Amino acid sequence: MIQLHNVSVTYQQDVCALSGVSLMIPRGDFVFLTGASGAGKSTLLKLLYAEIAPSHGQIIIDNQNVSRLTRSELPYLRRTIGIVFQDFRLLPNRTVMENVAITLEVLGIGRKEIGERVSRILKQVGLEQRMQATPCRLSGGEQQRVALARALVNEPKILLADEPTGNLDDENKALILSILAEANCRGTTIIVASHDLRLVAASNKRAVTLERGEIREVHDEPR
Amino acid sequence: MSHAKFKRRHVSGRGGVWGGVAYFFRRTLLNIRQNLVINLLAVVTITLSFLIVSLFLLVFVNLEGAGELWSEKIQVTVYFDRELNEKEFIALRNLIMTLEGTDTINYVSKGDALKRFRTRLKGQESLLDGVPPEVLPASMEIRLKQAFRTSGAVEAYVTRLKKIPTIVEVQYGEEWVRRFNTFMNFMRFAGLLLGGFIALAVLFIISNTIKITIYSRREEVELLELVGATRLFIRIPFLLEGMLQGVCGAILAILILAAVSWAFLNHAGNFLIFNPQEAGLVFIPVTFCVALVVTGILVGFIGSLTSLHRFADQS
Ligand SMILES: Nc1ncnc2c1ncn2[C@@H]1O[C@H](COP(=O)(O)OP(=O)(O)O)[C@@H](O)[C@H]1O
Ligand SMILES: [Mg+2]
Repeated sequence: MIQLHNVSVTYQQDVCALSGVSLMIPRGDFVFLTGASGAGKSTLLKLLYAEIAPSHGQIIIDNQNVSRLTRSELPYLRRTIGIVFQDFRLLPNRTVMENVAITLEVLGIGRKEIGERVSRILKQVGLEQRMQATPCRLSGGEQQRVALARALVNEPKILLADEPTGNLDDENKALILSILAEANCRGTTIIVASHDLRLVAASNKRAVTLERGEIREVHDEPR
Repeated sequence: MSHAKFKRRHVSGRGGVWGGVAYFFRRTLLNIRQNLVINLLAVVTITLSFLIVSLFLLVFVNLEGAGELWSEKIQVTVYFDRELNEKEFIALRNLIMTLEGTDTINYVSKGDALKRFRTRLKGQESLLDGVPPEVLPASMEIRLKQAFRTSGAVEAYVTRLKKIPTIVEVQYGEEWVRRFNTFMNFMRFAGLLLGGFIALAVLFIISNTIKITIYSRREEVELLELVGATRLFIRIPFLLEGMLQGVCGAILAILILAAVSWAFLNHAGNFLIFNPQEAGLVFIPVTFCVALVVTGILVGFIGSLTSLHRFADQS
């Protein structure tokens, strides 16, 4: 379970990216964060994996106060969270396979098992043919799927995706959503930041709308 | 509820400890291959730096060697007013041998002295015709041990020598010894200073080179942090890479210098007026070579570590 209590984030003095946000996301949930660009969606995700710290308030993930984790504890939180970065953050010098393997190497898993698991997830995202390619040889949609595969390969408890369908064609959007839905079925809590209202509406999931750093409305999934 | 949920938890790596070691070495080699250009640049820079250091060492070692050779000319000559008989000679020699600092003793009888003088007057030996052999005094030439070839030590030695009653006069070329010592001390001082500057410059260059190789991969470090790599996990490959660069640089520098000085020793006769082999030129001693390689490893390690430190502080 993820809880935010009255969280505020202020970047350099005046830029208030989030103010007084309280939110509860139960385990196994699939929730969209929406809002115009600049509303604070990415900031909220960054708080969850502790790339930034809140100026005020508490963030609690599975009864752990994220801002109280020490530097040596932080990696163990991050291992339970898969992240799809808005700019992918794929390493240009490594192949698709190596990029995806990073998440498993960090866990100290043996080489053979890594090979098997990476092949499996790449097949799932439809990239088994591109395993030896470097990211710069891939299309935007393919890079997006590599990033998704890297985030999902260690079967994290939580998946955070920042605009995972930005700039993609409808076919790719649908593919990504189906992969996310599948992970959700296997028990992963999924939080997707997206400004694409059409996509959010079509997905029939819970949606939290941010506006200038505040929660404007929480839209529960229609039954 | 349990506050230790995200704390260190031993991960069941299938590979075990050796799997981990193998992983880090494989990762390091892959990193080098995947960042080949910058790694080559780093190794070239480190090689050139170590080449400067080892060339300096080579010159220094040979100057010291030359100094040592010259210092053998420092010898103390003891004169007697008469020829010593066998018993007196042995007694005196044993006495002098017990003096601290004595290396070897060479007895020059009156006859020997005249013979030497004669050879020095080559071509004009006739000048000495009719000169009786008793004219020149008999003497003992004492060569001192290496450590006793300084002005102060020679003086102290001579003072002790003069206390022996049979000895009439002692000579040791005071002026020459003093000048020689001044020169050697100056050379060592200048060498140390120059060596110090070179070492500092080289350390600076190498650590900056390594810093550049690490900075060029900051996104890799950042990503690893975000997917939950521990600090050690991130650092080990970089440290290994830095050490490998240092080792390669040091070894390459020594090999290049060895090749160049070998070529020099074998072909210098063609364009130099002296023969460097006869002049006793030597290569850097093995211990220095080992020290250079160890320095390479250390500088690589420390350079990587400090870069990673500064790097982590910024993010
Ligand atoms: N690193 C930063 N430094 C300063 N201001 C930032 C930084 N990141 C984001 N902001 C500001 O915070 C606000 C929210 O940004 P963000 O969370 O990226 O919004 P979104 O992802 O919804 O588009 C914006 O006004 C943005 O300009
Ligand atoms: Mg954003």
